[in-house]
Amino acid sequence: MTNRPLNIPVILGTTRKGRMSAHAARFMVGQIEKRDGVKTELIDISKLPMPVDDAGEGIKDPTFSEKMAMADALVIVTPEYNHSFPGLLKHILDSCLKEYIHKAAGIVGVSAGPFGGVRAIQDFLPVIRELGLVNIFWDVNFGNVNKVFDASGKLLDEAFVARADKFLNELVWMAKTLRYGRDNIALDS
Amino acid sequence: MARKKSKMICPKCGDEMNHHADKLVDAVTPEDLKHVNPTLGGVIEEMHHCPGCGAVESRRAE
Repeated sequence: MTNRPLNIPVILGTTRKGRMSAHAARFMVGQIEKRDGVKTELIDISKLPMPVDDAGEGIKDPTFSEKMAMADALVIVTPEYNHSFPGLLKHILDSCLKEYIHKAAGIVGVSAGPFGGVRAIQDFLPVIRELGLVNIFWDVNFGNVNKVFDASGKLLDEAFVARADKFLNELVWMAKTLRYGRDNIALDS
Repeated sequence: MARKKSKMICPKCGDEMNHHADKLVDAVTPEDLKHVNPTLGGVIEEMHHCPGCGAVESRRAE
């Protein structure tokens, strides 16, 4: 097995002005950075070139593609908009495929209401599956997000530290396992 | 179904890559349509991973 650190970027999946999901994404980056042997970065989809006159791999951005290719797992932070995840998040995820295959994914849901993005997450699961990602069974649900972070992004509810820890334990396990498989187990073995 | 047996070589580091998955993808272009597997209902894309540097590559199965 290689000694490369696990690479787990965090995708901030909304472009909306004033998005509280940015606080959740930065919090998750901070939690991942505490772990030995794991590196991370924030990928803000609002910073990516996102043409809307084409779709799918026709809009593949080389930088985003490379980041996905070199990732071992993804943390996808999604708000819930009208009971689902943002269309632009799917637009950008649809631009890659080979980059995702047999890699772990964990979803962080964010909502202004009490449900913490659970409907967005449920909608997201078939997409994750078709992209070839392997979703873990832990989520982090930031419900009533205006009470979880203050305006500066300071965490107001320390319970989320333990919740994120459980989520990341599972994600790291799955990322290690899938990397071992990608490295060593041939499809026709 | 026939499968390519030759190992892919990593374009980044030169190591042999591991063929770890086949993905059924929809035919989108006219070129894709020539390669549709009628039994499986789409094009089979082989997925390869480099144990050395972590790069990924894919190619259409024969």
